[in-house]
Amino acid sequence: MRSLLRLIIILWITSAISQNKQVLYGMTDLPQNLLLNPGSKIPQKMHFGVPFLSQIHLNGGSSGVNAYDIFGNSDQDINTIIRNKIFELSDRDFFTATQQLEIINFGWLAKNKIYYSGGVYQELDFILYFPRDLAILAWEGNSDYLNYEFDFGQISTTGDLLSVYHFGANKQINDKLTVGVRAKLYSSMLSYKSTNNRGTFVTTLMDQDGPNIYEHTLKNMAMSIETSGLASLQDLNGSGEVRENLMGRALFGGNLGLGVDVGATYDITNNITASASILDLGAIFHTKDVESYSVSSNYTLDGIELLFPVILNGGVAPPYFEDLEDEVEREVVIDTLNNLYTQLRPIKVNASLAYSFGRSLDDSEDCNCKKSSTAPARNQQAGIQYYSIFRPKGPQLAGTLFYSRRFTNFLALKATYTVDSFSASNIGLGLVADIGVVNFYLAADNLLGYQNLAKAKSVSLQLGFNIKIDRE
Amino acid sequence: MKTSLVFTSIGVFLLIVFFSACVKDTDFEKANNIVLTPIVELDLLYFDLPAITFFDTATSIPVLTVRDTTDLPFLNDAEIRNNLKRAVFSFKVGNSIQREFQVDFEFLDDQNQVTSTIQIPVAQGTVSNPVITEYTENFEGQELINLTGAGKVAVSVTIASSNANLDGSIKLQSKTTYYLEL
Repeated sequence: MRSLLRLIIILWITSAISQNKQVLYGMTDLPQNLLLNPGSKIPQKMHFGVPFLSQIHLNGGSSGVNAYDIFGNSDQDINTIIRNKIFELSDRDFFTATQQLEIINFGWLAKNKIYYSGGVYQELDFILYFPRDLAILAWEGNSDYLNYEFDFGQISTTGDLLSVYHFGANKQINDKLTVGVRAKLYSSMLSYKSTNNRGTFVTTLMDQDGPNIYEHTLKNMAMSIETSGLASLQDLNGSGEVRENLMGRALFGGNLGLGVDVGATYDITNNITASASILDLGAIFHTKDVESYSVSSNYTLDGIELLFPVILNGGVAPPYFEDLEDEVEREVVIDTLNNLYTQLRPIKVNASLAYSFGRSLDDSEDCNCKKSSTAPARNQQAGIQYYSIFRPKGPQLAGTLFYSRRFTNFLALKATYTVDSFSASNIGLGLVADIGVVNFYLAADNLLGYQNLAKAKSVSLQLGFNIKIDRE
Repeated sequence: MKTSLVFTSIGVFLLIVFFSACVKDTDFEKANNIVLTPIVELDLLYFDLPAITFFDTATSIPVLTVRDTTDLPFLNDAEIRNNLKRAVFSFKVGNSIQREFQVDFEFLDDQNQVTSTIQIPVAQGTVSNPVITEYTENFEGQELINLTGAGKVAVSVTIASSNANLDGSIKLQSKTTYYLEL
């Protein structure tokens, strides 16, 4: 019990937002940019990712607390620190972790001038909102909180492990507009969701007329957790079998879902470009290996009433405690269901407005006649980006200022400054290098945090290798 | 030339950032000192006995003591025994019967041996003016170990004397404050 609580506390603190890849968004030198905006401009003729190495993405964050807050060197007792933190955090603070691994990624420009791209990636996504009242109840007990309604509705968490098969098309409609769309097939390996909970627990101090000193009441309690893919794993022996089973689900063996990404890029003037995308507009239909648990109750506990019955020789006293247990079981109804359920994917929205300036990239070529009608690509861009992801308790937003620059034919850099739920001092840097046909990139945000990861509330890192063949 | 210098310096900067990434000025050993110390208030037993309980009208004989027993399996639960540091029992007895009472709690182990007792003397009251007796008992150290050896409690209510004309009732309310360390 004690070690479990410690583990939870440590996980909370070391875990972290949000799938925001603000550094990669808009980097047209990078094929993975198509996964952030299927309507991005595409300079290359074809690309394919080095299998398993084309995108490695790690992200963790927590909105209200970092490891340094709790474990930093200080003379204060750690329990006092945690207690103060519990009261400082709100039930809208959260802990998240995201990880993506691209398995396959490819794309090519077809004769009809449509750029087709597709691939497979695996994704892990977790979010836990801070259940403040429960934390107070666990940390302090109810003694100092008589008549206070502890809100169980603060429990809100989801977790998903899935593989995504995608295929998209991108076309430059005219000189100014490029649009794209991507279809996605989700294969969910594991999933759980506990949102839309409600109910309170209150210990009321009664007056002399009440049956007992207190009344412990569960009010309007309706809580549930939906799981898919978990029930059958409990029957398996050892991690080896679990791994094999999960691999099977990754290959269309899991619960399937459908989704779509849409995006567009529009050159407003020669220098100003707007772009936007909506990602993961879709749902997973959980039909297999589904198990849901729900608890509903309106129950008041007064303690055990002794009746002092007249017991004749050989008689036994009523089983008060067993009767109480039976009553609780009757009144606090726990249901296990196998209902199918549909789970919406967290929708992500990206948008940007960029101003291009500096040296024209086309000028360096022998002839720019082919592209003369389109806005000439410049070697520098500055602008703003917007990102949001829809989470159980509402959208999480991030705003980014960026500057990107192409230094030579083979190197482009982008710097970002992002304000989001975690911090207002998030600086990110990304680098894309084209060495021959090999395209390498590395992007990370919260660079200030790398000096001491303990002080960072979130970190995000992406890197990968592609083979890219540029257009003639 | 200029661009390659920029390239090199930025590349070097990135490398320094990533390879110097570290976690410092922290002491994760502190996790071993994390202790949860909730104080939990929980109702225990209650009863409300009319005066007539203490007189058998069929035989016209006073019933001076009534007794009842209930299991309290959570008391000697291994988890509770490991984590409970202190327990305080609080009682509130309202008496509107014109007699003094004594309420005895005997905590019994599985062999029905008494491990702990609580004795509450109750002052007499009247129907128009019930008297409330409050009583607390603190269990710590060896006393707590004795208490948590028990899994049930026998409650005896003893009246000083009784007849058919007594009015009113004796009403007992109780709660326990558990000081836990997890």
